[in-house]
Amino acid sequence: MLAMAGTAGRTGRGFGRVLVSVYGILAFAATGRSTYELATKFTEAPVAYSLSTLAALVYILATVALALGGRRPGWRGIAWAAVGVEAAGVLTVGTLSLLDTGVFGESTVWSGYGQGYGYVPLVLPFVGLWWLWHTRPPSTPRLPDATEVPA
Amino acid sequence: MVLPLLLLVVALCVVLAGWAGWFVARDRAVILRQLWGGAVIEGLLIVQGVVQGVIGASGDGPADPLLFWGYFATALVILPFAAAWAFAERTRWSSVVLLVAALTVAFLEWRLWQIWAGA
Repeated sequence: MLAMAGTAGRTGRGFGRVLVSVYGILAFAATGRSTYELATKFTEAPVAYSLSTLAALVYILATVALALGGRRPGWRGIAWAAVGVEAAGVLTVGTLSLLDTGVFGESTVWSGYGQGYGYVPLVLPFVGLWWLWHTRPPSTPRLPDATEVPA
Repeated sequence: MVLPLLLLVVALCVVLAGWAGWFVARDRAVILRQLWGGAVIEGLLIVQGVVQGVIGASGDGPADPLLFWGYFATALVILPFAAAWAFAERTRWSSVVLLVAALTVAFLEWRLWQIWAGA
Protein backbone atom coordinates (compact mmCIF):
# COMPACT_ATOMS: atom_id res chain seq x y z
CA MET A 1 0.00 0.00 0.00
CA LEU A 2 1.35 3.38 -0.94
CA ALA A 3 0.44 5.78 1.81
CA MET A 4 0.41 9.06 -0.07
CA ALA A 5 -2.58 10.65 1.56
CA GLY A 6 -2.07 13.86 3.45
CA THR A 7 0.25 15.41 0.90
CA ALA A 8 -2.48 18.02 0.29
CA GLY A 9 -1.02 19.52 -2.86
CA ARG A 10 2.45 19.94 -1.37
CA THR A 11 5.31 18.56 -3.40
CA GLY A 12 7.88 18.34 -0.60
CA ARG A 13 6.09 15.82 1.61
CA GLY A 14 6.01 12.02 1.80
CA PHE A 15 7.39 10.51 -1.40
CA GLY A 16 8.24 14.08 -2.39
CA ARG A 17 11.06 14.05 0.16
CA VAL A 18 12.63 11.10 -1.63
CA LEU A 19 12.33 12.99 -4.90
CA VAL A 20 13.81 16.17 -3.38
CA SER A 21 16.72 14.18 -1.88
CA VAL A 22 17.58 12.45 -5.15
CA TYR A 23 17.28 15.79 -6.96
CA GLY A 24 19.49 17.34 -4.30
CA ILE A 25 22.19 14.68 -4.74
CA LEU A 26 22.06 15.10 -8.53
CA ALA A 27 22.13 18.91 -8.21
CA PHE A 28 25.16 18.61 -5.91
CA ALA A 29 26.91 16.17 -8.27
CA ALA A 30 26.17 18.29 -11.35
CA THR A 31 27.22 21.54 -9.64
CA GLY A 32 30.45 20.00 -8.40
CA ARG A 33 31.19 18.61 -11.82
CA SER A 34 30.51 21.86 -13.69
CA THR A 35 32.43 23.99 -11.18
CA TYR A 36 35.37 21.64 -11.54
CA GLU A 37 35.14 21.69 -15.35
CA LEU A 38 34.78 25.47 -15.56
CA ALA A 39 37.70 25.98 -13.18
CA THR A 40 40.16 23.56 -14.75
CA LYS A 41 39.38 22.96 -18.42
CA PHE A 42 36.66 25.26 -19.76
CA THR A 43 38.56 26.07 -22.99
CA GLU A 44 38.79 22.37 -23.94
CA ALA A 45 35.07 22.03 -24.61
CA PRO A 46 33.15 25.28 -23.91
CA VAL A 47 29.84 23.93 -25.28
CA ALA A 48 29.84 20.78 -23.16
CA TYR A 49 30.92 22.57 -19.99
CA SER A 50 28.45 25.42 -20.45
CA LEU A 51 25.75 22.80 -20.89
CA SER A 52 26.88 21.03 -17.70
CA THR A 53 26.59 24.34 -15.86
CA LEU A 54 23.12 24.99 -17.27
CA ALA A 55 22.03 21.47 -16.28
CA ALA A 56 23.39 22.01 -12.77
CA LEU A 57 21.47 25.27 -12.36
CA VAL A 58 18.24 23.64 -13.56
CA TYR A 59 18.74 20.78 -11.08
CA ILE A 60 19.26 23.25 -8.23
CA LEU A 61 16.12 25.15 -9.27
CA ALA A 62 14.11 21.91 -9.53
CA THR A 63 15.28 20.78 -6.08
CA VAL A 64 14.26 24.06 -4.44
CA ALA A 65 10.98 24.28 -6.37
CA LEU A 66 9.97 20.70 -5.52
CA ALA A 67 10.80 21.31 -1.85
CA LEU A 68 8.66 24.47 -1.75
CA GLY A 69 5.90 23.51 -4.22
CA GLY A 70 2.43 24.01 -2.78
CA ARG A 71 3.91 25.70 0.30
CA ARG A 72 4.81 29.04 -1.26
CA PRO A 73 2.88 30.48 -4.22
CA GLY A 74 4.50 30.17 -7.61
CA TRP A 75 6.97 27.37 -6.84
CA ARG A 76 4.75 24.64 -8.28
CA GLY A 77 4.85 26.40 -11.65
CA ILE A 78 8.63 26.81 -11.43
CA ALA A 79 8.91 23.10 -10.59
CA TRP A 80 6.88 22.20 -13.71
CA ALA A 81 9.16 24.41 -15.82
CA ALA A 82 12.44 23.17 -14.33
CA VAL A 83 11.50 19.48 -14.48
CA GLY A 84 10.13 19.99 -18.01
CA VAL A 85 13.40 21.60 -19.14
CA GLU A 86 15.29 18.61 -17.73
CA ALA A 87 13.09 16.11 -19.53
CA ALA A 88 13.58 18.02 -22.79
CA GLY A 89 17.30 18.49 -22.10
CA VAL A 90 18.10 14.87 -21.39
CA LEU A 91 16.12 13.70 -24.44
CA THR A 92 17.62 16.30 -26.80
CA VAL A 93 21.23 16.09 -25.61
CA GLY A 94 20.97 12.32 -25.18
CA THR A 95 19.78 11.86 -28.77
CA LEU A 96 22.32 14.33 -30.20
CA SER A 97 25.17 12.68 -28.29
CA LEU A 98 24.23 9.31 -29.77
CA LEU A 99 23.82 10.64 -33.33
CA ASP A 100 27.12 12.49 -33.38
CA THR A 101 29.53 12.03 -30.51
CA GLY A 102 31.49 15.11 -31.58
CA VAL A 103 28.73 17.69 -31.11
CA PHE A 104 29.64 18.70 -27.57
CA GLY A 105 33.33 17.85 -27.59
CA GLU A 106 33.13 16.31 -24.16
CA SER A 107 30.49 14.38 -22.28
CA THR A 108 27.87 16.16 -20.18
CA VAL A 109 25.43 15.11 -17.47
CA TRP A 110 22.82 14.49 -20.18
CA SER A 111 25.05 12.65 -22.69
CA GLY A 112 23.88 9.14 -23.59
CA TYR A 113 20.62 9.86 -21.71
CA GLY A 114 22.49 10.26 -18.43
CA GLN A 115 24.40 7.02 -18.82
CA GLY A 116 27.28 8.25 -16.64
CA TYR A 117 24.84 8.78 -13.77
CA GLY A 118 23.10 5.42 -13.98
CA TYR A 119 20.32 6.89 -16.17
CA VAL A 120 19.04 8.76 -13.12
CA PRO A 121 18.89 12.03 -15.17
CA LEU A 122 16.60 10.25 -17.65
CA VAL A 123 14.20 8.68 -15.15
CA LEU A 124 14.05 11.51 -12.61
CA PRO A 125 12.28 14.23 -14.65
CA PHE A 126 9.49 11.83 -15.60
CA VAL A 127 9.04 10.75 -12.00
CA GLY A 128 9.04 14.46 -11.15
CA LEU A 129 6.36 15.25 -13.74
CA TRP A 130 4.25 12.36 -12.48
CA TRP A 131 4.62 13.58 -8.89
CA LEU A 132 3.68 17.17 -9.81
CA TRP A 133 0.61 15.80 -11.56
CA HIS A 134 -0.17 13.47 -8.66
CA THR A 135 -0.03 16.26 -6.06
CA ARG A 136 -1.83 18.86 -8.21
CA PRO A 137 -4.37 20.93 -6.30
CA PRO A 138 -8.02 20.35 -7.30
CA SER A 139 -9.00 22.72 -10.12
CA THR A 140 -12.36 23.56 -8.56
CA PRO A 141 -13.15 23.71 -4.84
CA ARG A 142 -14.59 20.30 -4.01
CA LEU A 143 -17.46 19.88 -1.58
CA PRO A 144 -16.98 17.14 1.00
CA ASP A 145 -18.44 13.87 -0.18
CA ALA A 146 -20.99 12.19 2.06
CA THR A 147 -19.07 8.92 1.79
CA GLU A 148 -15.80 10.56 2.91
CA VAL A 149 -15.26 10.16 6.62
CA PRO A 150 -12.49 12.34 8.05
CA ALA A 151 -9.77 10.18 9.61
CA MET B 1 43.50 4.69 -0.46
CA VAL B 2 43.54 2.63 2.71
CA LEU B 3 41.49 -0.35 1.55
CA PRO B 4 40.35 -1.85 4.91
CA LEU B 5 38.95 1.52 6.01
CA LEU B 6 37.15 1.96 2.69
CA LEU B 7 35.70 -1.55 2.83
CA LEU B 8 34.53 -0.96 6.40
CA VAL B 9 32.69 2.22 5.36
CA VAL B 10 31.10 0.47 2.36
CA ALA B 11 30.09 -2.55 4.49
CA LEU B 12 28.47 -0.31 7.13
CA CYS B 13 26.66 1.66 4.41
CA VAL B 14 25.28 -1.58 2.97
CA VAL B 15 24.16 -2.71 6.44
CA LEU B 16 22.49 0.66 7.12
CA ALA B 17 20.82 0.54 3.68
CA GLY B 18 19.55 -2.96 4.43
CA TRP B 19 18.22 -1.83 7.80
CA ALA B 20 16.48 1.14 6.17
CA GLY B 21 15.13 -1.14 3.42
CA TRP B 22 13.64 -3.42 6.08
CA PHE B 23 11.94 -0.37 7.60
CA VAL B 24 10.56 0.64 4.19
CA ALA B 25 9.04 -2.83 3.84
CA ARG B 26 7.58 -2.58 7.34
CA ASP B 27 6.17 0.91 6.63
CA ARG B 28 8.20 2.50 9.44
CA ALA B 29 9.98 5.84 9.77
CA VAL B 30 13.68 6.16 10.57
CA ILE B 31 14.52 5.62 14.26
CA LEU B 32 17.26 7.26 16.32
CA ARG B 33 19.36 4.07 16.45
CA GLN B 34 19.69 4.16 12.67
CA LEU B 35 20.88 7.75 12.90
CA TRP B 36 23.54 6.65 15.42
CA GLY B 37 24.57 4.10 12.82
CA GLY B 38 24.80 6.91 10.30
CA ALA B 39 26.87 8.93 12.79
CA VAL B 40 29.36 6.04 13.10
CA ILE B 41 29.76 6.02 9.30
CA GLU B 42 30.15 9.81 9.34
CA GLY B 43 32.86 9.51 12.01
CA LEU B 44 34.69 6.90 9.91
CA LEU B 45 34.45 9.22 6.89
CA ILE B 46 36.18 11.96 8.89
CA VAL B 47 38.89 9.46 9.97
CA GLN B 48 39.22 8.48 6.31
CA GLY B 49 39.54 12.15 5.32
CA VAL B 50 42.35 12.69 7.86
CA VAL B 51 44.16 9.47 6.85
CA GLN B 52 43.95 10.19 3.11
CA GLY B 53 44.87 13.82 3.74
CA VAL B 54 48.04 12.78 5.59
CA ILE B 55 48.93 10.27 2.84
CA GLY B 56 48.24 12.95 0.22
CA ALA B 57 50.37 15.53 2.07
CA SER B 58 53.31 13.12 2.17
CA GLY B 59 53.36 13.16 -1.64
CA ASP B 60 51.49 9.98 -2.55
CA GLY B 61 48.15 11.68 -3.17
CA PRO B 62 45.26 11.23 -5.59
CA ALA B 63 45.88 11.70 -9.32
CA ASP B 64 43.45 14.64 -9.28
CA PRO B 65 43.22 16.17 -5.76
CA LEU B 66 40.45 18.69 -6.64
CA LEU B 67 38.19 15.98 -8.02
CA PHE B 68 38.94 13.63 -5.12
CA TRP B 69 38.20 16.17 -2.38
CA GLY B 70 35.12 17.38 -4.23
CA TYR B 71 33.72 13.85 -4.16
CA PHE B 72 34.82 13.46 -0.55
CA ALA B 73 32.96 16.63 0.49
CA THR B 74 29.85 15.29 -1.26
CA ALA B 75 30.07 11.99 0.60
CA LEU B 76 30.40 13.93 3.86
CA VAL B 77 27.18 15.98 3.52
CA ILE B 78 24.78 13.25 2.36
CA LEU B 79 24.08 11.41 5.62
CA PRO B 80 23.50 14.61 7.69
CA PHE B 81 20.87 15.65 5.13
CA ALA B 82 19.18 12.24 5.37
CA ALA B 83 19.21 12.59 9.17
CA ALA B 84 17.58 16.03 9.00
CA TRP B 85 14.93 14.55 6.67
CA ALA B 86 14.31 11.76 9.18
CA PHE B 87 13.31 14.31 11.80
CA ALA B 88 11.09 16.27 9.38
CA GLU B 89 9.33 13.33 7.74
CA ARG B 90 7.94 10.83 10.21
CA THR B 91 6.71 8.32 7.60
CA ARG B 92 8.28 5.39 5.74
CA TRP B 93 9.57 7.87 3.15
CA SER B 94 12.30 8.96 5.54
CA SER B 95 13.48 5.32 5.46
CA VAL B 96 13.59 5.46 1.64
CA VAL B 97 15.69 8.64 1.89
CA LEU B 98 18.10 6.96 4.34
CA LEU B 99 18.31 3.92 2.04
CA VAL B 100 19.19 6.11 -0.95
CA ALA B 101 21.66 8.16 1.12
CA ALA B 102 23.53 5.08 2.44
CA LEU B 103 23.80 3.57 -1.06
CA THR B 104 24.99 6.92 -2.44
CA VAL B 105 27.80 7.10 0.13
CA ALA B 106 28.81 3.51 -0.75
CA PHE B 107 28.81 4.45 -4.45
CA LEU B 108 30.87 7.59 -3.77
CA GLU B 109 33.44 5.49 -1.86
CA TRP B 110 33.85 3.38 -4.98
CA ARG B 111 34.30 6.54 -7.09
CA LEU B 112 36.82 7.89 -4.54
CA TRP B 113 38.78 4.68 -4.93
CA GLN B 114 38.81 5.11 -8.73
CA ILE B 115 39.77 8.79 -8.59
CA TRP B 116 42.57 8.16 -6.10
CA ALA B 117 44.00 5.52 -8.45
CA GLY B 118 43.71 7.97 -11.35
CA ALA B 119 40.96 6.20 -13.29
